[in-house]
Amino acid sequence: MAAAALSWALRAARQVLPSPCPGQVRSYYVDWRMVRDFKRRKVAYEHADERLRINAIRKNAILPKELQEVADKEIAALPRDSCPVRIRNRCVLTSRPRGVKRRWRLSRIVFRHFADHAQMSGVQRAMW
Amino acid sequence: MWGGVRGGGGLAARLLGAARSSARSKQELFSTSSMLSKQKDKSAASKDGSPEGAAKKQEDGAGTPKQQLLDIIGDMKVEVSYRKKLQQLKASESKKQAMAKLEGPDSEGSVPQGVTEDTQRGKPLNPELVKAASAVASSLPRNKKQTESELLAQLRRHEETTDQQKKGGIINIRNVISEMTIKRQSPAQRGTRTSRRISLQLDEDDKRLRRERSSALSMDSRRSLKVGKRLNIFTKASTEPEHALETVSSPTIWDLEFAKEVAAVTAQPPRNGFEEMIQWTKEGIMWEFPIDNEVGMEDDAEFHEHIFLEKHLEGFPKEGPIRHFMELVICGLSKNPYLSVKQKVEHIEWFQKYFEEKKELLQEI
Repeated sequence: MAAAALSWALRAARQVLPSPCPGQVRSYYVDWRMVRDFKRRKVAYEHADERLRINAIRKNAILPKELQEVADKEIAALPRDSCPVRIRNRCVLTSRPRGVKRRWRLSRIVFRHFADHAQMSGVQRAMW
Repeated sequence: MWGGVRGGGGLAARLLGAARSSARSKQELFSTSSMLSKQKDKSAASKDGSPEGAAKKQEDGAGTPKQQLLDIIGDMKVEVSYRKKLQQLKASESKKQAMAKLEGPDSEGSVPQGVTEDTQRGKPLNPELVKAASAVASSLPRNKKQTESELLAQLRRHEETTDQQKKGGIINIRNVISEMTIKRQSPAQRGTRTSRRISLQLDEDDKRLRRERSSALSMDSRRSLKVGKRLNIFTKASTEPEHALETVSSPTIWDLEFAKEVAAVTAQPPRNGFEEMIQWTKEGIMWEFPIDNEVGMEDDAEFHEHIFLEKHLEGFPKEGPIRHFMELVICGLSKNPYLSVKQKVEHIEWFQKYFEEKKELLQEI
């Protein structure tokens, strides 16, 4: 869930590649938007279970409506960053919000760059 | 030997075996016969008799058990099979051997002669066994005296072997082994076999028989067992004493650095793909083959703890919408393979807490 997103964001931002392998050494987040996205992921992970349970009470035909209204108010009281909808899958290297392929977590430009330099394992120029 | 009575042969052997094995032979006979007999009143009589002493059994009348036996054997089907013919031949041969050993000149022992022969021998057979043998023999269609004598001979031989086993006599085994042919083995096979035999010797639960057999075998084989390097495959207790852990207060930084240096020097780059894969497996980059689907998953709980979650629903009211809702929750949880039992229980407990907080609100409704 959000845990996976959190972990990869962490790794992306703070990753120091091991010495034998050449490459980028990234010790900062690319921009503030990336930092905010990382914070949102962290908070969303913390409140994920609660949100699930309160939503289970809300989206219900069995429980009385008064109870559901109370649950509505409760979920609104949670911090705004706890909802997973606010998370944006940004490019890991450039923080580009659009054109990001989920499998590689890279924007299309970066992906193309690496693929052409044969640095993407198993990726080949398509020809058919 | 049995004249082709298949079931009868088996039954009689079982009965005789039962009779032979236990001291309370009469009771065994009665019990087995009672199980099989169709006549319930007689079986009831015998069952009543079984807890009582053996003497009373004899008083009951030798007629009833014998009759039962006869009835059973008479009811059984008669089948002639090749196996039984072979056994018959063997039995006749063995019987001839037994007869040859006996001092009595008669080859075909009749009933009273059979009895006298028994008494002539050192160990008299149980009179009950004799009676049983005679009953069985009388029921069988073919040569009754011959079958009876054969049965008795077999009984006697069995008695002898059991007595010898008790005494730990070597004689029979030596005879057996002397008849056996020595196999030609390749040295490789010999090596493995000697290790196996060494293990037999080292085994503490050895009976006397086994040791004698192995020693006899070692004498027969070209190579002796004691010669040669010990493989120590099966020794449990290692002879090396466990060194007391040398207490190091704390590994100094220099030690750590030295260890790192040594590791860096000795870790040569992989010469081929296999070594590369080994390195990756050690690092954790590559999975271990054959792939274990449950790596990292240490769910000690059984399946019933995952599925039958109703016992956690005790804190909830028994009727009403809340109970309905919680039952749906439990249904969903039981189908969830991704959560552990702890997580599921926490889930339910959260709901319990939540509904307790909202109790006043719920009572207004």
